[in-house]
Amino acid sequence: MVKCSICGRRAVYTSRTSGHSYCNRHFTDYFSKKVRRTIRKYQLFRPNDHIIVAVSGGKDSLALLHFLKKLSRYSPRWKITALLVDEGISGYRDITIKRFQEIVSDLAINYEIVSFKEELGYTLDQVVSSKHGKEYLPCTYCGVFRRYLLNKAARKIGGTVVATAHNLDDIIQTYIMNIIGNDWDKIIRLAPISGPATHPRLVRKVKPFYEILEKETTVYAIINNLYTGFEECPYARLSLRWYIRRWLNELEEKRPGTKYAILNSLLSILDILSKKTNLSLNEEIDTCIFCGEPSANPICRACDLKTRLSSIELNPDAHKRIDELKHLFTNKYRILPITKQHYTT
Amino acid sequence: MGIKVKVLGRGTYEIEYRNGMRVSDVFKKLGLLSTEYVAVRNGEVLIEDEKVNDGDELVLYAVVSGG
Repeated sequence: MVKCSICGRRAVYTSRTSGHSYCNRHFTDYFSKKVRRTIRKYQLFRPNDHIIVAVSGGKDSLALLHFLKKLSRYSPRWKITALLVDEGISGYRDITIKRFQEIVSDLAINYEIVSFKEELGYTLDQVVSSKHGKEYLPCTYCGVFRRYLLNKAARKIGGTVVATAHNLDDIIQTYIMNIIGNDWDKIIRLAPISGPATHPRLVRKVKPFYEILEKETTVYAIINNLYTGFEECPYARLSLRWYIRRWLNELEEKRPGTKYAILNSLLSILDILSKKTNLSLNEEIDTCIFCGEPSANPICRACDLKTRLSSIELNPDAHKRIDELKHLFTNKYRILPITKQHYTT
Repeated sequence: MGIKVKVLGRGTYEIEYRNGMRVSDVFKKLGLLSTEYVAVRNGEVLIEDEKVNDGDELVLYAVVSGG
């Protein structure tokens, strides 16, 4: 029997970098200390925050909800609301919604559910099976619309901060994906707290599990009875992330500590990028000319995808015009936005 | 008797027991990475170096999220 390095009881987790083993109780202490250190170091929360926890119904987001609820005992002015986005993926989301509702009820946490169907007019299943929904991978539509609705719903609920359960594994996978895509403007956004650019309609986003391995959130979820089943999104294996994740896990297996090393690499590059003035880091974020939501471009990615899916009906020349406008705006020209004449009647 | 292993989201497998077998050997036998699964026996989480016994029933929880 492998024993806890602190008390000698049976160990449930061994850190492969430090070699320390922990029993149930001391694993919880270790986990809690790590998350609280991240929260403190990056000042993720304020004393009066209304925290919107973005929950998918999976183990990581339920672990985050459970953890923050416990931590809120020491921050009595916090208000916590769980928010789930229902993309409309049959055989997957319907099961996880049920689990989500059971756990928020056990934890006595208020919750809200927003759905693609109600907010956008179609489910993800309908998007990917539609004539125009083949242009991108399902995860692109899902990710863009989810982020869009999360911010919109969090603001509507009155949230002051959105906490997501992105863990160390998620962060470094995205980092590698963005290196492959040469997307340095996206890498800047991989800090534990959103920004530095701001917008009055953008709710601050934080990642309390930034320095926590996915294996650690799994152990936390199991020992707290939050991991009650495993459902795989039917679209997950189509994404680049799937391959990157496998590659990183194989690397970590052979060379323990690789994941922390990549996170350190990301933190170094974030520091370097923050000193680069030509990246306009402190500028205000744009406002989408269609929906008024925060956007990196004159037309936000959600409206861009919606036009491509024809939920906003445009005549054939309008898509071309949108691309021209994007190009001009990107090059800092200021011209009139799209007007009603571009809509079909 | 052997070891019965239920891998959540994948199915149930029976593997042959060998003397001194550990959780890490079960992972190897099934072609799984220890970075991607957590083993549980009778509701208790096991680390990779933990020994398994003939007749054990293990449940493997996927570390990777399903979304």
